[in-house]
Amino acid sequence: MMNCKDCETKLDRYVDRELSATEAVEVQLHLEGCPGCQDHYTFETNLKRLVKDSCGCETPPAFREKLRQLLT
Amino acid sequence: MAEPAASTTFAEEALTHLDTLYRGALRLTRDPDQAQDLVQEAYLRALRYQHSYQPGTNMKAWLFAIMRNLFWDRFKGTRKDNVSLDDTGDFVLYEKLKDEGARPEADVLDKMAATEVVAAVEKLPPLHREVVILVDVEGFSYKDAADTLGVPIGTVMSRLHRARQQLQKSLYDYAVESGIVRASGMRQVPQ
Repeated sequence: MMNCKDCETKLDRYVDRELSATEAVEVQLHLEGCPGCQDHYTFETNLKRLVKDSCGCETPPAFREKLRQLLT
Repeated sequence: MAEPAASTTFAEEALTHLDTLYRGALRLTRDPDQAQDLVQEAYLRALRYQHSYQPGTNMKAWLFAIMRNLFWDRFKGTRKDNVSLDDTGDFVLYEKLKDEGARPEADVLDKMAATEVVAAVEKLPPLHREVVILVDVEGFSYKDAADTLGVPIGTVMSRLHRARQQLQKSLYDYAVESGIVRASGMRQVPQ
């Protein structure tokens, strides 16, 4: 049975979906029975989403067009 | 030399990854003009060396690798400043807010301004910043990030972990400065 310390060491990889299916199930089962680790997981997931959303931007259209004309 | 039609097809496919390259360049250079110069140079180089691209492999990762190598060559010299981040301890922001009795996932992150999050990312040393860009912003797998950066997967994982710790520290500092939380006594300020 996974304990909180084991869960913590695997949390990054769980959040990033980098664990094997077996390991992911082990973490998932632990999270379902551990409100503290579940909160922690939710926080890490939300932080990752916040970083993605905040850093998201699109290429300026004028630059996109300039590049397209240059390359094609 | 590729036929013109083949070259145009290659360029068109490469341009489908432009947003990823531009976002990466913008976060690495922290300057829109330098980012555009970097991206343009990366595309010109990619076109010149398109014969070295293996069809069916990850073109986005291949293009990003060209761009970030140019960044290190042109903006930082040929040596990477392998700045190590101080060990801030695990989960700085989460632990501090938990100690306060705040509900970090529900309350505090929602109040973070996007500009401050970007500033926290851009404050990371470039070697850590580029891992966050690839994995957290662009959704690369650890393996694709490792291939792009030319480092082992373990290095991606350790840089990512350190970077996230540092991000939490920066965001905690911001939360204190902006009054989202108090520095000591640690109770969330209602809004």
